[in-house]
Amino acid sequence: MATTRHSQAMFFQARAGEKVRDKVLQRALQKAKPLFSGKRGQAMVALADDGMDFETLRTACEEIRNRVLNDLDVWLALFEERAKANGAEVLWARDGDDICDLVIDVARRHGVSKVAKSKSMLSEEAHLNDALSAAGIRPVETDLGEYIIQLAGETPSHIIAPAVHKTIEQIEELFAKEHGRPIEQRTSEDIPAMTREARAVLREHFLTADMGISGANFLIAETGTASLVTNEGNGRMVTTLPKVHVVITGIEKVVPTLEDFATLMRMLPRSATGQTISNYVSLLTGTKRPGDSDGPEKTVFILVDNGRASLLGSAYQDMLRCIRCSACMNHCPVYFSLGGHAYGWVYPGPMGSVLTPLYTGIANALDLPHASTGCNQCGSVCPVKIPLPKLMHRLREDQNEMGLRPWSERLGLKAWAWVAGKPRLYRWLVRRAIGYLHWLADDKGRIQVLGMAPGWTVGRDLVAPQGKSFHEQYAARKRASK
Amino acid sequence: MTARDEILGRVRGGLAKGDFATRRAQAEAYIAAQRRGPQPVMDVSRQELAARFQRKAESLASTVEVVADAAAVPAAVAAYLARQTLPTTAVSTHDVVGLAWAGAGLEVVARPAVDADQVGITGCFCAIAETGTIMLLSSPETPATVSLLPETHIALIKVERIVATMEEAFALVRTERGELPRAINFISGPSRTGDIEQTIVLGAHGPCRVHLIMIGAQS
Repeated sequence: MATTRHSQAMFFQARAGEKVRDKVLQRALQKAKPLFSGKRGQAMVALADDGMDFETLRTACEEIRNRVLNDLDVWLALFEERAKANGAEVLWARDGDDICDLVIDVARRHGVSKVAKSKSMLSEEAHLNDALSAAGIRPVETDLGEYIIQLAGETPSHIIAPAVHKTIEQIEELFAKEHGRPIEQRTSEDIPAMTREARAVLREHFLTADMGISGANFLIAETGTASLVTNEGNGRMVTTLPKVHVVITGIEKVVPTLEDFATLMRMLPRSATGQTISNYVSLLTGTKRPGDSDGPEKTVFILVDNGRASLLGSAYQDMLRCIRCSACMNHCPVYFSLGGHAYGWVYPGPMGSVLTPLYTGIANALDLPHASTGCNQCGSVCPVKIPLPKLMHRLREDQNEMGLRPWSERLGLKAWAWVAGKPRLYRWLVRRAIGYLHWLADDKGRIQVLGMAPGWTVGRDLVAPQGKSFHEQYAARKRASK
Repeated sequence: MTARDEILGRVRGGLAKGDFATRRAQAEAYIAAQRRGPQPVMDVSRQELAARFQRKAESLASTVEVVADAAAVPAAVAAYLARQTLPTTAVSTHDVVGLAWAGAGLEVVARPAVDADQVGITGCFCAIAETGTIMLLSSPETPATVSLLPETHIALIKVERIVATMEEAFALVRTERGELPRAINFISGPSRTGDIEQTIVLGAHGPCRVHLIMIGAQS
């Protein structure tokens, strides 16, 4: 699979260690963390003011997404027919290479030399910017976060806040270099000035780009429409000014009706940023109409598989409900310890820990399904009820069944299963293990080097077991209640 | 085999369902039913819709003022522009160009906006009380650029065009227009970004200021 060669997910453990020690990154992450979870929480509580609640809404959203997935062939056919009837061209891409070929072909057909891009994670899956540059077409990212990342030559570390790992000093350095001026000492008070500076540079690009590329938050089958949700307005720019608009989106993004779209819009911004609605929600249907002064003369949809179809009917179909809100990573203790780059591919956090192995190969992302504390914060905030921890567990089981786990782990699990079937032996061993751990611990009750598995105590101490074991407590309570 | 056939083949293989025609008919029936999901509970009297719209719009960093009738709009706009020390020339959509702008000392021209335009004045198709949002439809008379390129966007809202929800707004488009225009833009306040250290800044790529004038409401 073409995407595999770009994935760095096999280096998760090595990168995780590096990221934990990166003080600048840690500062950026700790600043962002309370904002994301706090704002979402307040927004969900406030639903009660209008007599709504999170559970009812997310059940409705889950149903909408399931309705489409369960008959995806039908909904894709309906969307395609109606989009074509409105004058759009509908193309299909098997994988990232197909995306690049199709986009470059459309660009060449229309004499395009510069492309203004609104955020598209699918274009990250395809490494489209590299392909465009190689074809002599200049891609300009226009979402402020994506623009910063493009200047840095990096990939996004978060699906809706791509530059969340960057500090103001790093961004100032990038801007000074790109905008051809001396470096200044920037503070948080200067952020509006920095934003204005980027606005002026990017405005020029909007006005001169021949083609706009965007993703789509949803495709509406009823009307053959692409919906685009942004706060900055760059989504409006790239779909209003250039003469060609290319929408790149996954085949799973279809929703049936405008009403269903309205329901999902009550959940998407709240889950993402805690907003009741994003500043700009655009519904784009077909091309420029007779007499229209703006809008593209040519609209092209590229509907992408890249691994998605293979999840239908599988144990992982639930994952296709994902609406890319980022709530799962915003509430993940692992994500906020490491940032997004440690995950090694396009999607970080819990959704990435499920999608990366499924889209790039289970054997190519062995650590990701284990990058979880099992706390289920991701599952409990998901606006379409994806059981993320369960899917990660299933991937671990698949690894085991495929013989991809190390022999020591497999042997250990077999031994544990054998012992667990023999309660007296199990209890005896637990008592011995507790004794052993107490013997290892220092006088503060901390184990600095765990003898049999020293990896666990690199960078942290293990606390020696406190009090009695579960079995002992259970037996004692049973005796007491008699 | 084309990519399309290959992908749809994989989709059908995964779903393992036959009888495309029946399932398609069910999907079309579902679309026709226009079923709504959970709706917010709110007072939908005209007065309450207007009050809620104003409250929500202000919470999203729009400024709102209320005038008695359309005749009062040019003076209100002139006063706003003077307060903001903005120029007295503006670009507008055709639906609002007929107001007596010159009488208030303003020069308003109906045309698509260009980069140099500093003030854009539009009407709106309708407004949504639930979220404090205005809904604009693109057309030759209402180019999308007027609400997008200028740094200041002034929108005029007739209070009788304020509906409760996005669903109600869609219902209005279906009855009054029948089909969707090229672009529907729901606008909820000035353009914003939080991409540098999660600090919210107004005026990312679209307008920095959105001023809403509600026509016909009692303040």
